[in-house]
Amino acid sequence: MGNADNNRMSALGRYYVKGHYGNKESNNIIFEEIESLVLFQVAFWPDTVSKVEKILNSELGIKKIPKPGSSIINSSASVIRVEPLKIWVTAKLEEDTSKADTPILDLSHSRTNLIIHGNDATKLLNRFLPIDLRENSFGIGAVASTMFHHVGITLWRTERGYHLFLPRGFSLSLFELLKKGAKQFGLQIK
Amino acid sequence: MTAKRLRSGGKIDRDKILNFTWDGQELEGYSGDTLASALVANNRRIIGRSFKYHRPRGITSSGVEESGAIVTVGKGARKEVNVRATTQELYHGLTATGQNAWPNVRFDFGSISNYFSKFLGAGFYYKTFMGIPPFEWGRGTKIWMFYEKYIRKAAGMGAASREPDPDNYEHAHGFCDVAIIGSGPAGLAAALELSKTNQDVMLIEQDFELGGDYLNYDSKSEDLARILLKINKSNIRIMKRTTAFGAYDHGTLGLLERVGDHLSTPLNYLPRHRFWTIRAKRIILATGAIERHFAFSNNDIPGIMTASSARTYLNRYGILSGEHIVISTNNDSAYIVSQELKKAGANVTLLDARASIPNHLKKKITGEGIELISSAAVSEAVGPSWVSKIKFAKLIDDKWINQGEKSCDLLLISGGWSPVINLISHRGSKAIWDERDCCFLPGHSEEAIDLIGSARGIWRIDDCVKSGINIKHALDKNKIALSKSYKVTENKGWENPIIPLYEVDISNKKSFVDLQHDVTTQDIRVAHQEGFVSVEHLKRYTTLGMATDQGKTGNVIGIALMAKALNATVTNVGTTTFRPPYTPISLGALAGRNTNDHFRPLRRTPMDDWNLANSAVMTHAGLWRRPWYFPVNGENISQSYIREARTTRNKVGLCDVTSLGKIAIQGPDATEFLNRVYTNPFAKLPINKARYGIMLRDDGIVLDDGTTWRLSETDYFMTTTTANAARVVSWLEELLQVRWNTLKVHITSVTDQWAGCAIAGPLSRKVLEKCVKDSDCVSNENLPFMGITSTFLFNDIPCRIARISFSGEMASEIYVPSDYGHVLMEILWEAAESLGGCLYGLEALGAMRIEKGHVTGAELDGRVTLEDAGLVKMASTKKDFIGSALRKRPEMIKAGRPQLVGIFPEDINATFNAGSIICDESNLNGHGEGWVTAVTYSPVFNHWIGIGFISGGYQNWQNKVAVAADPIRDKETRVKIVSPYMYDPEGKRHYG
Repeated sequence: MGNADNNRMSALGRYYVKGHYGNKESNNIIFEEIESLVLFQVAFWPDTVSKVEKILNSELGIKKIPKPGSSIINSSASVIRVEPLKIWVTAKLEEDTSKADTPILDLSHSRTNLIIHGNDATKLLNRFLPIDLRENSFGIGAVASTMFHHVGITLWRTERGYHLFLPRGFSLSLFELLKKGAKQFGLQIK
Repeated sequence: MTAKRLRSGGKIDRDKILNFTWDGQELEGYSGDTLASALVANNRRIIGRSFKYHRPRGITSSGVEESGAIVTVGKGARKEVNVRATTQELYHGLTATGQNAWPNVRFDFGSISNYFSKFLGAGFYYKTFMGIPPFEWGRGTKIWMFYEKYIRKAAGMGAASREPDPDNYEHAHGFCDVAIIGSGPAGLAAALELSKTNQDVMLIEQDFELGGDYLNYDSKSEDLARILLKINKSNIRIMKRTTAFGAYDHGTLGLLERVGDHLSTPLNYLPRHRFWTIRAKRIILATGAIERHFAFSNNDIPGIMTASSARTYLNRYGILSGEHIVISTNNDSAYIVSQELKKAGANVTLLDARASIPNHLKKKITGEGIELISSAAVSEAVGPSWVSKIKFAKLIDDKWINQGEKSCDLLLISGGWSPVINLISHRGSKAIWDERDCCFLPGHSEEAIDLIGSARGIWRIDDCVKSGINIKHALDKNKIALSKSYKVTENKGWENPIIPLYEVDISNKKSFVDLQHDVTTQDIRVAHQEGFVSVEHLKRYTTLGMATDQGKTGNVIGIALMAKALNATVTNVGTTTFRPPYTPISLGALAGRNTNDHFRPLRRTPMDDWNLANSAVMTHAGLWRRPWYFPVNGENISQSYIREARTTRNKVGLCDVTSLGKIAIQGPDATEFLNRVYTNPFAKLPINKARYGIMLRDDGIVLDDGTTWRLSETDYFMTTTTANAARVVSWLEELLQVRWNTLKVHITSVTDQWAGCAIAGPLSRKVLEKCVKDSDCVSNENLPFMGITSTFLFNDIPCRIARISFSGEMASEIYVPSDYGHVLMEILWEAAESLGGCLYGLEALGAMRIEKGHVTGAELDGRVTLEDAGLVKMASTKKDFIGSALRKRPEMIKAGRPQLVGIFPEDINATFNAGSIICDESNLNGHGEGWVTAVTYSPVFNHWIGIGFISGGYQNWQNKVAVAADPIRDKETRVKIVSPYMYDPEGKRHYG
């Protein structure tokens, strides 16, 4: 692909302006966008799990598919079980490894990946997301598909914070809502 | 009245003076006051005017049940009507006015209606303005429709601001193990106990202070402080200023948090209200009870309130509400009130309707200098604008007989207590009438909801606390299910029995049941006489319980009076259905942040900014924002799209088509899957070829159309219409998960992964050649019609190209990963512009597809078969597919069904409208012979053309004139029916 990656433009584009917003006395929400997201989907069937694990092992050194609703995070990449028979990998997989029974799909441009962290990140997310984000229900490594203003999104929690995978077309609209909601907590866009 | 703020006492902060304005007058209150308490302290007597008769009304309570002091708070865009002064927290700069009065509540011209009140009883509007012969002439509602607008104009209380609401509102979701509603003695005790068991507890309080009934006691301040210290140290999540207004399925609660209603200066980053949806494993209702009044003559005039509220004003707000006070009761609770008011310096007379009063109570009261009159109740209040004396009566042989008068400046009523059981009743639990305690108690519930304290009929404060502590026994090891051995307490009910007291009926003067809606005892009796005896009919006929207080104090009285009229029991009459909300909710809170630009989520294409920067005028297509047209040199929409279509047909045009649905279909059985879904065969589609396909619903009606590209043996790229993208994904998932779960196929929406642009026109290949790395790959040989290729733009950006055409011209669609969408447009536009090309939007796209006779959602509207759309050749006869059986039903294939046609005006200078009915010129009535789905000015034909459906199709209408009739817009145009394939029917142009 040569230097094509240099031309990538986030869906948030010029609307992602770094700085502090809202309540000046606090700084309890931080937004960070992962630009030039790399995201590949591997699909499988019950009888092809071992084949997927073989791919993951050879490409990423990850030996097992995580359980539904969870993820495996290592230094080179993460594997996120987004559906019973689909995983997302945050590293480039050669599409020529795609086989009929382990199809690989590049979704790197389909989502905007926004990380939200800070003391009030959970509160902010629950202003929009109807899922239980308490530590014992949605701890580090948890992943869920949920609804944000009627839009299906994927939420993943890591040590770094909450990763929101927003469908690209809707992401600016949802980002605007998040930004409005975050101002009460003091928002830092990094 | 001589209400006065005491020098000490109460929970207000006398060091923090708050200035506020009432009806234009500057007044002072203290931090910790409500608007009502500040008005009482300032001796403001008439606070409101009644709904129908404009009678003066004062403050009747100290809580959410308030039915007299209904006021307007704020000004300008922030003016809010129908606010209960008793729950409005006072803040510096608050502005409030009376409402439903002119020029003001103290002197209201509208009170003239009181003189006509005999004519304005229950059913007045129905009887007077609906269908009275001979005016109605048997036509039903004609006269009502005439009067209704005037009646509606006269109805209501207060005038809301016409300006846009400047405040923000938001939604929120919360989760907990136990949600406790109410922070009174029982609620606080339960919260503390449960927090010890490591449960995640939410404590929800509608007031701005925790404590509930503790706040009404002078003697419990230290107890409360000690409890609150523990609460604050615990992990209990506290939500103040938050009302639980509704209970829903599976432990779901609806809450309204008033975030900014107490702030002098709203902070722009804070919402005014927050609408919470709470999911709790268990709900504990510690919602307390509300003291009732009872009906007697003039029981609505200012200076009458519930006994407990006078206690609240005394002990919480440090106000003695009157100097000469009469209390009329039927239960023990008023005794402590009389003692405390006496101690605070008032002269107190206590009328107790009970004949038998225990000696120890009598001694206690009389020993403190309180006059006690047994077997007596107030029969009339004398005003007119403030109570100055009362008449009282005794019940002799089941009849009230006047016994005397008492001068007073405040009358307090305690007619019994009603547990607040609304939330459990929302869950379908039927309220049970308790004859002994004269109140409705909570019924049985199978759900994880418990009641504690006064909400379940426990009156003594110590017993309420015990009920809260004991709630821990309700939870088994799983901390969810109710333990069978659990009993809250045995100490329910009154120590000395209450007696029923709902009405003292002596004079013919008005006595009110529902103060806020001006429903009188006479109205209840009229409803009975006229046959509206069901409690639901009673409510609707009289409007009992329909006001913002939702009958919190009046309903029980109304039901009891109806029971008496029917000679039945209260149980027989029953209650109306309890429905949310318990207290009013702002419309803003319901909407949350989903307003204005965010009413619906906006979906932008990756080229959105690029389109805007290149002068696009945008429009909405579903949730998408798409270019509508690209005006140059001040063109209007017609000039612009005609130019765009002409340029595209003559040279080349570019159109952002990202919004088309795109679905990856992968797996060993992908081909078989597509072969079953599409009407036409896909089994033999070669790799690197695309095919137009149509899918039907089970019933044989066309669902959607689009092209599907074969990328490899087991990998397909399907496109759908913009409108049906989500529907098609759901449909395909349903097929795979429910019907064909043995097929190894995965589908994934990749609409957002790919940015797409249509390049249409005779020069489209030249544009492509300039943009791709290897121009050979887009030659006619390498990329023929319906061919596809995966290649790179000259700057190494990967792309997919298909030779497909929606415009009817030689055209391609090119897709790149979305983050490169803007680069794609830059490159394509540079090439197209140099060739004299243009950008085109949805309007030109629509014009060209009509000329070509291509169908879209306007035609595929859920009624159309393959035959109707002229696509029957797309139905394979060699395989089964979804809809293949039912599409052959007789009705679906009968001759004469409406079929797709083109439409020309007979006079080429004439126009006609989309949506017109097409009629035979000899019969311009009824449903006609067909309909027009879309029209455009055709740059090709230089006149207006249309597309639509007509019975029997084009063949049936040759050499006949039809009429496009548009009765709504009063337009009729004579039209000719032509082939739907109006432009290049042989398809020579798109082959290039």
